[in-house]
Amino acid sequence: MDTNKFLFFFKDMQTSSYALQLVEVEKQFGDVRAVDNVSLEVKKGEFFALLGPSGSGKTTLLRIIAGLESAGKGSVFIGGKNVTKNPPYARGIGMVFQDFLLFPHKTVGENIAFPLKMKKMSATHQQEQLSWVLDLVRMKGYEDRFPNQLSGGQKQRVALARGLVARPDILLLDEPLANLDRELRKEMEVEMRRFQAEIDIPFVYVTHNQEEALTLSNRIAVMKDGHFEQVGDKLELYDEPATAFVASFLGLNNTISGEVLRQENDFSFIDWKGIELKIPTPNGIKPGDRIAYYLRSEKMHINPHGKSNPVDGSITLTAVLRDIIFKGQYSDYFVILDNDEEMVISDVPDIESLKIGGKVDVSWLPSSGFSFAADGEE
Amino acid sequence: MAVKQFLHSKDLKALALSLPGALFIIFFLFIPLATIVVYSFWRTESYTMIADWNLNNYLTILTTKTYLTFLFRSLSMSLAVSFISLIYSWPVAYYIAKYGGRYRLILTMLTAAPFFTGILLRVTAMQQILGPIGVVNMFLSNIGLKPLHLLMYSHYATGLGLIYLWIPFMVLAIYLSLLTFDFKLLDAAMINGASPLRAFWEVTLPLNWIGTCIGLALVFIPTFAATITPKFLGGVNGALYGNILAHQFGSTGTWALGSAMGVLMFTISSLFVFIVFKTVNLNRSGYTGKIAGE
Amino acid sequence: MASINHQASALKTGQVVLLVLLYIFLYFPLLFITYDSFVHNIIWPFPPEWTLEWYQKLLGMSDFHAGLKNSFYIGLFTAIPATLFSTAAVIGLLKYRTRWRGGMILLYISPLFVPGLLIGISTLMFNANVMGMSGKLISAIIANTTEDIAFSFLVILAQLVRYDWRMDEAAMVFGATPAQVFWEVTLPTIWPAILGAFLVSFILAFNNLEISYYNLGAIPTLPTIAWGSLRHGIKPELFALATVINMLVFSAIAGLFFLIQTGMVRFGYRGE
Ligand SMILES: Nc1ncnc2c1ncn2[C@@H]1O[C@H](COP(=O)(O)OP(=O)(O)OP(=O)(O)O)[C@@H](O)[C@H]1O
Ligand SMILES: [Mg+2]
Repeated sequence: MDTNKFLFFFKDMQTSSYALQLVEVEKQFGDVRAVDNVSLEVKKGEFFALLGPSGSGKTTLLRIIAGLESAGKGSVFIGGKNVTKNPPYARGIGMVFQDFLLFPHKTVGENIAFPLKMKKMSATHQQEQLSWVLDLVRMKGYEDRFPNQLSGGQKQRVALARGLVARPDILLLDEPLANLDRELRKEMEVEMRRFQAEIDIPFVYVTHNQEEALTLSNRIAVMKDGHFEQVGDKLELYDEPATAFVASFLGLNNTISGEVLRQENDFSFIDWKGIELKIPTPNGIKPGDRIAYYLRSEKMHINPHGKSNPVDGSITLTAVLRDIIFKGQYSDYFVILDNDEEMVISDVPDIESLKIGGKVDVSWLPSSGFSFAADGEE
Repeated sequence: MAVKQFLHSKDLKALALSLPGALFIIFFLFIPLATIVVYSFWRTESYTMIADWNLNNYLTILTTKTYLTFLFRSLSMSLAVSFISLIYSWPVAYYIAKYGGRYRLILTMLTAAPFFTGILLRVTAMQQILGPIGVVNMFLSNIGLKPLHLLMYSHYATGLGLIYLWIPFMVLAIYLSLLTFDFKLLDAAMINGASPLRAFWEVTLPLNWIGTCIGLALVFIPTFAATITPKFLGGVNGALYGNILAHQFGSTGTWALGSAMGVLMFTISSLFVFIVFKTVNLNRSGYTGKIAGE
Repeated sequence: MASINHQASALKTGQVVLLVLLYIFLYFPLLFITYDSFVHNIIWPFPPEWTLEWYQKLLGMSDFHAGLKNSFYIGLFTAIPATLFSTAAVIGLLKYRTRWRGGMILLYISPLFVPGLLIGISTLMFNANVMGMSGKLISAIIANTTEDIAFSFLVILAQLVRYDWRMDEAAMVFGATPAQVFWEVTLPTIWPAILGAFLVSFILAFNNLEISYYNLGAIPTLPTIAWGSLRHGIKPELFALATVINMLVFSAIAGLFFLIQTGMVRFGYRGE
């Protein structure tokens, strides 16, 4: 037996356990490489978030999966079938768009039943599916309204219902909550998770909001300039960002950079504009190299000067408190260090002893931050 | 399921849909126009075209005083008509666009609607108003005044008739341009110290200049080629260049000469359009080259 | 402040006056001959001597029936291809971005910049001398079509720039084939624009004199009959004809307007 062929067969078998598989997908627009050699597997039942800044290629990638854009290179598998050459209407997908794109001349019921009608499903069957999905999104009784008679949140639910009604192999969502106000967004985030858990259809969810991605998904891919910087479990990304970009994008809001002066055990000492700082040594870094270090503000502590009681191994620096932003459970403290650099610390509010303009001590554990070789970008 | 290769280039799809009409226009309008260019260098003899290449037709129409007089008359007429229409249409279109509110559409449709009656019947109606036994002069004589000779079969009557026919185009062109104009820009200009008139000159007119130019072209071109209006409103001495041109294709059968006149007419119209659009500075026109949804 | 407000309202009043004068200028002649078409004393119809004789004369005019039929054919068979060509073109140019869009739009509206007289004589020369077919209904239809493609293109373009083509994409993702997308989503939204373009082309071709005249030779249409009889002085039966045509045009426009106003027709969609 031809082993190659057998392996190939085996690979195919594996493929089919994924709801979606992308193999080395590429897309070029003029001189812009919107999607650059992206491979990805999304498992059945998974809530997958595609996170990245504006222009990173998220929408383009989603449109390639949907078949609205042709992949320059690479293949797309949906439900184990190679659909690279299939038109959008022969891919078995559902999609929810940022501005909903409900058909204005059709009622809510007709909008939602549209995918079923296209499948030429029988009327009774359509009715069954419709009432199931209306229950799911809690829109019973709105069937005969027109889209312009709905609120933003209701439109969102209808758009979701339309995406789900035909029980697609996969549901694609392109920033579906971006047009809703904050309150509604929080509410819909909860709903969204409920739908997904209830129906077991995998979601591929595009957003540029890290909070949304962390709240909703099981796994996240962080995208930059058309390629994936890191793909993984959300906690993995949160706790172990693989690159400086991922670290900065996932809310590591203090960036420190400097040259390595000397190294001791697993730690390096860098010169941060006149302050010597101890940080974990990234792979393959020698004295003389430049390093970027990211610190999450929640992992830091602030105390009035001389009153700090740091844990073993902590670093403590003195600073002047410039501003306080009260956030409820905690406050954001903006301080100026001796080297004129600014930092933000999130800590419990302490109105009594922390005053703007006062001297403070800032402390953190060196191992609570992430360091990377600085690649030119500061 | 028929899963064919779906992803053609967008250019291809756009062409597949727009090429048929484009070819129709090219074949049935541009090619005939090109043939009269060819014929303008030929000769007509007893109702047949003879391919005897020469410049005589052009020499005739460019040196004979009669032809030049008619040409000059037509040119002054259409310049005057376009200019008057322009001045009159601006405040009207401005009012509809800015204050028309929910009646904008109907107010605009009302200015455009008479156009659909057809040129001939509208000229007939005008004749019934302006002629020697038109209602204006009948009214004047009924109340014991002298009739207005100005309105009877004169160039003024022709001019009025032409404005009557084509002013809807001008209103429409300016109105459509103003529809996409952000009137809040005027507030910005006035807050910064511009008087209303100054704001109009500095902001409104430049940003709607393309629409205005289109209006000018749409009025100038048909008036320059007018035949029916001068014939029925202009009186015995009212003929314009278009009438003389049309005459060549009537009983005289001097088609080659007529073709040359047609080419000259087209050239002058194009020159007018060219000069008018020369004044357009795309960077200052607010034109982005984009269509909604992009 | 007060003086500026005063100035502004004076300006506004002036504009209203100009608008009203324009309407009077545009409609008085048409209304007057409508009135005239029902009276016997057409020259100074005060007081009116009511009559329907001009309508009887109109029906009795030689060639009236043939002219009506020919005008109708020219209107119909010009409007159909003009609307089809321009609808396809607008959809193609707006839905699929192409680098030829600007050039194509120019090409489509270019017939507006050629006067009817020139279209008439050049197609006459071309048909007679090159194609060897003159004095045929089809020649007039083809020549009118070139001009009316431009008009209907503009009518449709003006409406469709507001259409959101991503709706078509949405439909396709939900399983609609290109044909289904057109019938289920595109057409139900844009049909008023298409109907408008059809009506405009029909009316223009039906009433056209200059283009048709040169292409038709001896074949009568309503405008050429009117033209012929006008040359022999005022013919009140033409007032009757104008009245009938105006009635038809106005009911078409009013119908379309009613559809738009009552919201039976909506264009485009931007997620609101
Ligand atoms: N049709 C197109 N033609 C040319 N360039 C395009 C096209 N579509 C996208 N691009 C380019 O590809 C890149 C990726 O765009 P894309 O819309 O995928 O970004 P995105 O991650 O969805 O951004 P956003 O968060 O702003 O929606 C951008 O540089 C964009 O300008
Ligand atoms: Mg996007």
